[in-house]
Amino acid sequence: MNGRGDGAPAEISRRTAAAQGRAEGLNVGWTVFSYLLAGMAAYGAIGWLIGRAVHVPVLLPVGMLVGLAISIGFIIYRYGVQAATTQPRTSAKAQGDDR
Amino acid sequence: MTGDVSALASGGCHIFSGCGFPAPGLRDFEWKPFFTIGSVGFTKPMLLAILAALVVIVFFWVAFRSPKLVPRGIQNIGEVAILGVRDQILRPSLGRRGDSYLPFLVSLFFFIYIMNVMELIPILQFPVTSRIGFVWPMVFIVYFLYLYLGVKNQGAWGYLKNMIPPGVPAPIYVILVPVELLRFFVFQPFTLGVRLFGNMFAGHLLLTIFTIATWYLLSLSVGLIYAAGSFALAIFVFLLETLVTLLQAFIFTTLTATYIASSLEASH
Repeated sequence: MNGRGDGAPAEISRRTAAAQGRAEGLNVGWTVFSYLLAGMAAYGAIGWLIGRAVHVPVLLPVGMLVGLAISIGFIIYRYGVQAATTQPRTSAKAQGDDR
Repeated sequence: MTGDVSALASGGCHIFSGCGFPAPGLRDFEWKPFFTIGSVGFTKPMLLAILAALVVIVFFWVAFRSPKLVPRGIQNIGEVAILGVRDQILRPSLGRRGDSYLPFLVSLFFFIYIMNVMELIPILQFPVTSRIGFVWPMVFIVYFLYLYLGVKNQGAWGYLKNMIPPGVPAPIYVILVPVELLRFFVFQPFTLGVRLFGNMFAGHLLLTIFTIATWYLLSLSVGLIYAAGSFALAIFVFLLETLVTLLQAFIFTTLTATYIASSLEASH
């Protein structure tokens, strides 16, 4: 069913790696965005609940900032520190062609 | 379209004629029903969604009703379409093991693309996905599949446990649980749906603004220069939207493929 011929293996590997990078980039980008929103919402809600109980309304924005900080910290850990340690495995995967 | 815009189209509402600019808005996304079944009105977006589904079904049925080893005619186009989704969306995320999901991803991609591209087809000229009610069912289907595959492959407890990547210190787990739960069950599906809806909504609104402005400014006065500028922008937005319609279908389907891949893996 491959109507465009087999092509050079190196070219196929390069295209596969590029497509993998694109898919990974999309996924990571939107996951990071979701983390930022989720962090602010989760700890903002917790802050709001505590603030409501103790009559300190400022705990809502404080909670949101804490949530944002937690999200940023986790993003750095997951996509910076942790990704760096697994880099060789990812590179090896990207170079291979699984067709 | 309704309201002022239809008044503009029907008559001489131009600049310097005492007629104010009929700015497009939310009302341009609301349609009078063709007919009603009970309390449900059958509107143009519904008709276009059905039409989009029929286009996808009929195209692939015609292309592969009697497939030849050496493809000819429409089978060629069908194969290029399927190979495009396989090589650019499915294989990069799932590899060969994901080939069983190819029919689902091909259907999803082309259904979304046809619904989007209806924005640019004269007479139809409305992107179905600019009504968020048509986007949520697709998000629901994708998320249901995502959860089902995750629980099936990793077990319910394992799936929840794997939401947080391994190697995270135990006290951090407690801090991350509310963030992860909210991200997974609320914000990830929310961004998946709102991105598609928002892009198509904004694109259609831009196209409507510049098209209406061109007509409104068209008069034997200095407005003619502005009309030419507005027309040029309308053409630019039209060309931009040809790219956006494809890109949004691609992004939605690519993210679906990465979600499926993460459900099949032990950690994501």
